[in-house]
Amino acid sequence: MATVLIENLTKIYPPTITYPHRVQALGGVNMSVTGNVFVAVLGPSGSGKTTLLNIVAGVETPTSGSVRAVQDGVPAQVGYVFQEPRLLPWRTVLNNMLYVQDRKSDRSRREAEFYLTMVGLNEVAHLYPSQLSAGMQQRVGIARAFLVNPDILLMDEPFSHMDALTGRSLREYLQRVWLHTRKTALFVTHDVSEAVELADRIVMLRPGGVVFDDIPVNLPRPRHPDDPAVRAVEGEVLRRFDSMEAAVRFGAQAG
Amino acid sequence: MTDVAQRPPAAPGPNDPYGQVPRTAPAQPRPNDPTTFASGFQELPTLPVGDLRPARDAGYSAPRRALRRPWVVQLIAFLILLAVWQYLTVASDRVPSIDNILSFMWTEVTGGSHGGMLVGEFWGPLGLSLQRYAIGLAIGIPAGAVLGLALGTSSWVRGLLNDTTLVLLALPAVVWAFLASLWFGLTSTAPIVAVVLTAIPFVAINFSSGVRSIDPTLMEMSKAYQVSRRNQTVDLLLGGTLPNAFTGVRLAFTTGWNSLLIVEWFGATAGVGWRARFWYDALRYAGFVGWILLFVLLITLLDRLVLRRLERHAFQWNQKPTLSFAEDWGM
Ligand SMILES: Nc1ncnc2c1ncn2[C@@H]1O[C@H](COP(=O)(O)OP(=O)(O)OP(=O)(O)O)[C@@H](O)[C@H]1O
Ligand SMILES: [Mg+2]
Repeated sequence: MATVLIENLTKIYPPTITYPHRVQALGGVNMSVTGNVFVAVLGPSGSGKTTLLNIVAGVETPTSGSVRAVQDGVPAQVGYVFQEPRLLPWRTVLNNMLYVQDRKSDRSRREAEFYLTMVGLNEVAHLYPSQLSAGMQQRVGIARAFLVNPDILLMDEPFSHMDALTGRSLREYLQRVWLHTRKTALFVTHDVSEAVELADRIVMLRPGGVVFDDIPVNLPRPRHPDDPAVRAVEGEVLRRFDSMEAAVRFGAQAG
Repeated sequence: MTDVAQRPPAAPGPNDPYGQVPRTAPAQPRPNDPTTFASGFQELPTLPVGDLRPARDAGYSAPRRALRRPWVVQLIAFLILLAVWQYLTVASDRVPSIDNILSFMWTEVTGGSHGGMLVGEFWGPLGLSLQRYAIGLAIGIPAGAVLGLALGTSSWVRGLLNDTTLVLLALPAVVWAFLASLWFGLTSTAPIVAVVLTAIPFVAINFSSGVRSIDPTLMEMSKAYQVSRRNQTVDLLLGGTLPNAFTGVRLAFTTGWNSLLIVEWFGATAGVGWRARFWYDALRYAGFVGWILLFVLLITLLDRLVLRRLERHAFQWNQKPTLSFAEDWGM
């Protein structure tokens, strides 16, 4: 069973030439995720969501605090869908998939083709990324994340670069695939309805990278964004954001 | 395509948002027929593809289209060059005529007599030069590649050697040629060393800038996925370096050939450069010009027929749109 344990995690970026101030991206985040759950991290732009995922993925180092991502006591394999597709422009779609595999055997090729078919892109396996639309490139990124058979799936606003129509159908798609695999998932988004549609639990971040709320979403799956029950949870989430903002503003005025 | 481009624009019809008259006559309305909607849909005016995206050469007349073909342009340039040459031949006795050059080179190839004790020599000097060139590049290109990869991947190596490499890059080939002759005298070593030394900085600088052009977010991606060292080296590092690396290799081919000629001119007893100088000193300008032309021809053919084709093949992924200003402005 996969576990992500985040304790008192702080990330402060040092001043740069263009912005000579320290930036607090994360301010003491505590959270733990265990087992086959889908957790959404919801927060406005600049609230440290990408930074959080980068630290979990081991790409960025924390300023203080600790992060552990383990599977049965050993470091977990992560599959990371980035905010942008991040494909090698000079490799075909298929070779981009094979890039994350250790050996380019027939077996890994078949697996890559399986996941490309899953996102509806097996036909274009031999094209280069520049020959695909942005949404198609992002789908390759999703297929790549599943290909490594991850213990933990990290997703950073994977649908934010797509038009609403494609995003909607891919969301539904992701839901189906997730129900099938039930990987431990950390899904970052600024879209409330996306979070409610997909997640078992929503962790809410405010600017400065502080968790101010954490609510469970106990709705049956598959969910549809237009269900009244889904809408009701959305309303609740938005209310909590509003009261947080009011509190912050009030606090600022009082101070 | 031409009929589309030349068809006069149709007058906009009242119910026709595209300003195109339906090509088929409107069907009789069939009330209460469940198929009406579908069949009516089919009869909507369609935009011919040619109106949406004019084909490349639509709008150019046949002669202008011919003038846009690359080989026609190159042929014209060549003919102009020949004409200018013939004019110079007539105007000055220091410029050998084209037929003089051709017959002189023919004597060289066949080993015939140039008069007196002088006999033609061709494959000997040419083969020797090509051999020196091949050895020089076979050493210089890999050495430059290793140096360039080290410069690109390690900031320590960069601090140590970057400025040196830039200085070496700025030295003209003729300096290498003189230095090599000075160090190694009238041997085959001097031209080989000159080729090696000219090639290395060109290859190294281009490899290094290729490595540094790789998007760091791709390295982040590789780190997150724990991509194997082997895949990172082959697919990310070398794959991303290749376009610049290729430029460096092409430059090494051309500048290496130049410095070879210079060393052979000043400090060798055989080779293409030596043969050109031999005829220059003997005041046989047809021989001198003939060998120089051969030299230019070889490097041009190599570049056109081999290197550029390889480059185009290797960089399909990077095909940029090829619209030029002149084309866009209808010139
Ligand atoms: N490499 C960096 N150097 C300096 N500051 C950074 C860096 N990366 C992020 N930051 C800062 O950290 C804060 C959080 O950034 P982050 O990218 O994690 O936000 P986010 O929640 O992912 O936003 P978005 O929804 O727009 O993607 C921002 O204020 C940003 O300016
Ligand atoms: Mg982000």
